[in-house]
Amino acid sequence: MSLERKISNDGKVLTIFMDEKFDFGKVQDFRNAYSTETEEINEVNIDLSQTEYMDSSALGMLLNMQKTLSGHVEKFNIINCRPQVAKILKISRFDKKFSIS
Amino acid sequence: MRILVVDDESLNRFLLVHMLEEAGYKDCYEAENGQEALKLAEKIKPDLVLLDIVMPDMSGYDVAPILKKKAGGIYLPVIFITALDDQSSLAKCLEVGGDDFASKPFDKVILTAKIRAHGRTRELSKKTFEQKEELTYYRNSVEREHAIVEHIFANALTINKKAGRYFDYRLAPASSFNGDLFLIEPSPSGGLYFLMGDFTGHGLASAIGALPVTRAFQAMASKGLAVSEMAATINHTLLSLLPVDMFFAAAIVEVAKNGTHINVWNGGMPDLILINREGEIRKHFESMHMSLGILDDGEFDDVVEHFQAEEGDRLLGYSDGLVELTNAEEKMLGEEAFYRWLKNEPDVTVTSLNERIEKFRGNAEQLDDITLVSFYCKPLELDVSPNLTSLPFEIHFALDADKLKKLDPVHDITMMIASQMGLDTLRSDISTVLSELFNNALDHGLLKLDSDMKKTTDGFFEYFEQRLERLQQLESGFVHIDVKLDPDTRLLTIEISDSGQGFDISKVNNATDNDCFGRGIPLIREICHDVHYYPGGTRVKVDFLIK
Repeated sequence: MSLERKISNDGKVLTIFMDEKFDFGKVQDFRNAYSTETEEINEVNIDLSQTEYMDSSALGMLLNMQKTLSGHVEKFNIINCRPQVAKILKISRFDKKFSIS
Repeated sequence: MRILVVDDESLNRFLLVHMLEEAGYKDCYEAENGQEALKLAEKIKPDLVLLDIVMPDMSGYDVAPILKKKAGGIYLPVIFITALDDQSSLAKCLEVGGDDFASKPFDKVILTAKIRAHGRTRELSKKTFEQKEELTYYRNSVEREHAIVEHIFANALTINKKAGRYFDYRLAPASSFNGDLFLIEPSPSGGLYFLMGDFTGHGLASAIGALPVTRAFQAMASKGLAVSEMAATINHTLLSLLPVDMFFAAAIVEVAKNGTHINVWNGGMPDLILINREGEIRKHFESMHMSLGILDDGEFDDVVEHFQAEEGDRLLGYSDGLVELTNAEEKMLGEEAFYRWLKNEPDVTVTSLNERIEKFRGNAEQLDDITLVSFYCKPLELDVSPNLTSLPFEIHFALDADKLKKLDPVHDITMMIASQMGLDTLRSDISTVLSELFNNALDHGLLKLDSDMKKTTDGFFEYFEQRLERLQQLESGFVHIDVKLDPDTRLLTIEISDSGQGFDISKVNNATDNDCFGRGIPLIREICHDVHYYPGGTRVKVDFLIK
């Protein structure tokens, strides 16, 4: 099942909505979500409002996305984290590389 | 029509009854004195009484008021029959409660006309009485139904006490049922949620929707769901439940444990405002959506507003009944006046605000429900750890190559543990740690994958492809998972061992900020109370301390 995503009207902002689990099982879906028709994008939001479970492979996937898109994307935001997920991101010092809210 | 004839003279009675029968009144009874008349009246319930005045035991003047009284709420015509013809005697007939008089000797035409006229009035009175009885019955049953509904509401629409003490609030329904709804629930992560809403209209019809909303809100709060998901679920519920012309304006708010991180979904409610210590408005949480119960799932917008407040800030919310309150001069209170009160006195209590509201309203009727809610941003100390199960347990999971190919055990085992009383709050942590440990055991122990592959972007994906491939080819090996709870020490222990070659924990390099791997072990060290790798590197034990 592919992940839900949304591109803003001006085509600049991509938002990817993760579901309940964000782990290695999502590798392919996640990669498709950020690498399909995203040449014009300069800002990426990862919406984690539904995400309850996350492990370190998700962290790897996020960094990998950043590496892949860093040529044209200036801002990476992780949005709508639940407290448990925010804790993992904080422990992993992801606030240095992503804007987390 | 049943007629009672009271006269001590048998001849008079005979003449009267004979006359009545001739006129078509066949249902006649006779009494020869006052006492007998009263007894008989009680038994036969006459529709009209012809009463003599002068009798040996009781006079007609004494009998009439008693008859009248016994007739209760229905008009019982009493016609005096008398040979007296002085004005004062006749006037007294009416003064003691009689309705008319007929003089002896009787004029048949006049008397029967009078009987008919009084009979009509009696019939009318009977009908009125029956209707009154029906109304009383109906009113009683409505009152009883209301009492039942009120009882249910009082029990269902409860505000969580622990979380409630962080709030200053007032609900003022315009009628006995409130179409406004205010709910507070703690979240499993130590924060809290609140919901304030306003159903179309007020009174019972609008309050009835509060029940499903409350149940859904409480259930979702206990699971720690996101505000956006709560809004979508309640919308879905109400859409199928409410008639099309009814909907629910609502603001759903989550406040994090630190008391300052605020998420708001506002659909159709007046702005929630955040003011600082000086009473200046720092933030309006405007309604960004349509009310709940209107849009179908596809159209529904669950976008939530986030705001980082500061300690000491104050979040205020109110229903439109407040700002649309109109006084006797037809002037509305309005937002500006309300904001001014806050600016002039940033710490004004809800009680004091309410006094001002009442003063403004004066003699005017309150037409809509009014809700006013205030929350000061400060760290929350909600004891979220519920009672821990006192039942110690150990569960052993043995996964061989065949099972490992088919199953991802992490989610199921997490759910199994989290289903035990007091462990649900650890759900996310258990899932993360179990996932790390299990994947390490499988990837590196059994599948012999090397994390160095993940150094390049392509290698990262290649790693996962190889993982899939090698897993399919796996023929032997095992991963064992042991979960143990000791309620006395409040320790939850998870031990994982595998049939691989093992690794040297001291040689594992931790990730730098840019690496896409090597974060797992530091992560579990942070989350767990204790992490222990056994020599040989095929067995690891972690402890969670349940707070």
